[in-house]
Amino acid sequence: MISRRALAAAALLPSLGARAQSTPVVMGTWGGDYGDILRQAVDQTVAIPSGLEVVQEIAPAPTRKTKLLAERNARRGSMDVVGLSDVDMYELAQLGLFEPVNAPAVPSLSRVIPSLRRPYAVPHIYSARVILYNPNLVTTPPKSYADLWDPKYRNRVGLSDLLYAQYVETAAIVGGGGPSNFEPAWAKLREWKSLGARVYSSNEQLAAALKSEEVWLTVMWLARGFMWKQSGIPLNHVVPEEGATSITYEMAVPKNARNPAGGWRYVNAMLDTRGQTAFAARMGYVPTVTDAPLPPELARQISLTEAQQAKLRTPDYAYQASMSARVLDFWNKEFKG
Amino acid sequence: MAALVLPAGLLVLLLLVAPMAMLFRISLNEYSPTQLMLEALQPGNYLRAIADPYYQAVMGTTMTVAFSCTLLCLIIGFPAAYWLARMDSKRKSLAVILTVFPLLVGNVVRSAGWMALLGRDGAINATLRGLGIISEPLQLLYTQGAVIIGIVAVVAPYMILTLSAVIEGIPRNIEEAAGNLGAPPLTVFRRVVLPLALPGVVAGSVLVFILCMNAYATPVLLGGPQFKMMAPAVYDQFVKGTNWPFGAALAFILLLVTLGLTVLGSALLGRRYKR
Repeated sequence: MISRRALAAAALLPSLGARAQSTPVVMGTWGGDYGDILRQAVDQTVAIPSGLEVVQEIAPAPTRKTKLLAERNARRGSMDVVGLSDVDMYELAQLGLFEPVNAPAVPSLSRVIPSLRRPYAVPHIYSARVILYNPNLVTTPPKSYADLWDPKYRNRVGLSDLLYAQYVETAAIVGGGGPSNFEPAWAKLREWKSLGARVYSSNEQLAAALKSEEVWLTVMWLARGFMWKQSGIPLNHVVPEEGATSITYEMAVPKNARNPAGGWRYVNAMLDTRGQTAFAARMGYVPTVTDAPLPPELARQISLTEAQQAKLRTPDYAYQASMSARVLDFWNKEFKG
Repeated sequence: MAALVLPAGLLVLLLLVAPMAMLFRISLNEYSPTQLMLEALQPGNYLRAIADPYYQAVMGTTMTVAFSCTLLCLIIGFPAAYWLARMDSKRKSLAVILTVFPLLVGNVVRSAGWMALLGRDGAINATLRGLGIISEPLQLLYTQGAVIIGIVAVVAPYMILTLSAVIEGIPRNIEEAAGNLGAPPLTVFRRVVLPLALPGVVAGSVLVFILCMNAYATPVLLGGPQFKMMAPAVYDQFVKGTNWPFGAALAFILLLVTLGLTVLGSALLGRRYKR
């Protein structure tokens, strides 16, 4: 005879099984538009229907980076997948924080642009650093980064405090250096400061300053410029003659992820064309997979021409990581100080 | 009886002393861009922070802001605390709720309100321009003044409540006796109320000063990118620069300076109280 307790246990088993199967994947992500698109175009469209349960851990990139570092010796970390910029990702990868990319677990990796692949991370979306200007106020469009040092733009160049490392690299390029040599940047940044380049606390405050015409030009991601244009700020973009620098947002699975298998499945879901197209249409980032369909008009607005692509610079991750403390010091003490 | 402090003591040991000890250990390590930090026992981070004119200036700003805020809180808090202390109990509970009301709103939300008020297109500038008093907007936001106003709005309730608790304990008839003996109200305040309220002044000032020295959100949001106080500088080193040893050293310097100034201030005011 079956006891009541055995019956109760039998009734409980399927639900326990279901729970064990759906251990949630914790995705460490940005909030705002990125988090929203991820939820709609990846979680609800691809990941959840394939049986994954997803929880977003939302924080700005520096916070998540610090959290990963703080728990690097912990057996169980708090994130199963983390999204970061390529520069941040490299910095943490060299500290041994991530699992090597598990290619068999990410079948869509074969559709990824080969030059964007890394051994420690999978590229999600990318864009390039360009010049944005207000066409109503800047009648002759600038052609190069160097044009932003023209005294006629005194007090009219706005910068975002968050992108300080990007401006150091921009100044290095103008000064004759480049991604692997920041030395010429210091003099150029001092000159920019004397020309009244203004620093804003956040990208949003920079956008507000561009909108109110307090500043007329900036150096920014093409994708961000696309979003600002969509929101009604009068802006055009110019790919600098010196060559744009790429920014790739990548995904990695930390070594101490609680659910690494789920993590890799989620990474694969993020490469699905539906999500990739949604990020392009709403945020202006270019898909990292070769087969995501983009309407020609959208492609024209967010991607580079072949000639521009040929001059695209990739950051020198190792050099940038070795310079990060010095770059921050210079920015805080001399440029803003 | 001593066992009664055991749970709280253990909690403090676990959640405060242990992390602080770890942080102190980190502050003696060496920064490495490729390995985060190298195990070491050297005072280099402290020496660099103390010798660097930039961090001296940041500490100077932090202390100026903290002193100004404490003084301002005392000046505006004392009359309010006196009024609160002498209020009948029916209305007092409502007044206490109103006093602590600013604390119900988070620092970030409150700062956003100040930004809407003080910004270039904020309410103040819009009003002044509307009235034709100014043609170009005034730079009110991203100034030391904005930070001081913002922090005072956060910490004033601590000062008022601490002072009012002490003033409540001063019997009303002492003031009346002084008045009957011919002392004008200002003399009653200076010779009777203030000396008796001094323990509250010390406690309130210490509390407010510590909060001001460690302010983070208000200086970041109202001070703008150029304005630096110590807590945001510590954050920058940890989060932006990934230089934990130097960030930890800055954190300990901030802790020691705050502690030193607090002890010194309490001792000076305390000595006056004994007289």
